[in-house]
Amino acid sequence: MYDLIIIGGGPAGVAAGVYAARKKINTLFLTKDFGGQSLVSAGIKNWIGVKEISGFDLAKNLESHLRDQEDIEIKDNLLVSKIEKQGDFFSVFTDKGDKFEAKTILFTAGSRHKRLNISGEDKYDGKGVFYCSTCDAPIMKNKTAAVVGGGNSGFEAALDLLPYANKIYILEYTEECKADSVTCDKVRASGKSQEITMTEVKEIFGDEFVKGIRYQDRKTGEMKELAVEGVFVEIGFQPNSESVKDLVDVDKYGRVIVDPKTQKTSLEGIWAAGDVTDVLYNQNNIATGDAIKAVLNIYDYLKNI
Amino acid sequence: MVTIYTTSVCPYCHMAKEYLEKNNIKFKEVNVEEDEAAAREMIQKSHQMGVPVLDINNTIIVGFDKSGIDKALGL
Repeated sequence: MYDLIIIGGGPAGVAAGVYAARKKINTLFLTKDFGGQSLVSAGIKNWIGVKEISGFDLAKNLESHLRDQEDIEIKDNLLVSKIEKQGDFFSVFTDKGDKFEAKTILFTAGSRHKRLNISGEDKYDGKGVFYCSTCDAPIMKNKTAAVVGGGNSGFEAALDLLPYANKIYILEYTEECKADSVTCDKVRASGKSQEITMTEVKEIFGDEFVKGIRYQDRKTGEMKELAVEGVFVEIGFQPNSESVKDLVDVDKYGRVIVDPKTQKTSLEGIWAAGDVTDVLYNQNNIATGDAIKAVLNIYDYLKNI
Repeated sequence: MVTIYTTSVCPYCHMAKEYLEKNNIKFKEVNVEEDEAAAREMIQKSHQMGVPVLDINNTIIVGFDKSGIDKALGL
C-alpha cells in the first residue's frame, strides 16, 4: 500500500513527483510517457527560467528531474484504466493488468486533442488527417492543406505548415478567428492562408488518401467543398478524465472540478491538477504550481489520518 | 535492417531514434522532408503519411510504438 499514487507524466505530475519524493511520501508514479501536450511544441518560450526550449527537450528534462529523485517508484509505458474506492483506500488498475493500492491519489492525466467525429476522420487518420502539425507538416510540401480550428493551436498549425504547403485554408466555426495577434499576423503576412469563418466541417473524403473536405457555410446553410490533401484538426482539447469521472464531480466538459485553494476533488482522498481539471488557464507553469499545491495538501492530510 | 523515416522536429521520431540507440540497434535514418522520393517510399510501404515510420526487416511500424518495435526486434 502506497501513501500516494500520482497519475500522469506531464509538467503537473512531474512537479508533484519531485515534491512528493523530497517530502519522503511513499509514492508510486504511473504514466504512459513524459512531457504532456507540450511534447509536440517546436519551441516553448514561456517556460519560466528558460528563454526557449523544444517540447522534446522539456519532456526529457522533466523525466530526468523526476528520475533523479531517490524516494519515488516510477512505472512508465502504461495507462491507468480505472480507479476504484475501497473503504479508506483506492485501487488503481492499468491497461497492462496491474493493480496498485494507495491511501491518496493525485490525478494529473492531462488532456488530448479533440476529434471532429465526422465521416472520413478515422478512415483517413494518418492518410491526410493529422493531429500533430509539428510532426506531419513537412509531408504537405507543395500541397494544399486545411486546418480545422481558428484558435491559437489552429494558427500554430498553420505556422508549422507555412514553409511547406502551397495554400492553407483555416476553417473556423465562429465568426472570427481568435488566435493571438502575433501568430495571426505571421500567418496572414505569408499570403498563403485563407480564413473561412462560420463553417462546420461535415466530411473528409478521398480515395486511398484525403482528396478534400465538405463543410457547411453556417450563414447560408450551403454545403461547400475544398480540394485539400491534408486536414490538421485543431479544435481544442478534451480531458483524460474517463478513469475517475464516476468517482469525482466533473463539469459539462468532463473536467475534474477542484477546489482552487487545495486542488481537492469532490471525493476525499483524490486530488487533481493540470489540464484534466477545470483550471481557468491551461499553462505548463500553472499546472506545475497547482500540482505542488496538491502535494503539500496531501502531505498535511497524510499526517492527520 | 532497420530504417526509420523521420521529419526534423517531430518529437516521436527523436524518441524512436533514442530508443533504438539505447538498445544498440543500428539503423538508417531517412528524412522525408528533404528527400521526396523517400517520402513516396514511406507512403508506399506504410499506406499512410504520418511519421515516424520504422521498417524493421520488412515489418512496418507506424508511430513510436515501443511494444511493436520490441516485438519486431525480438527485444
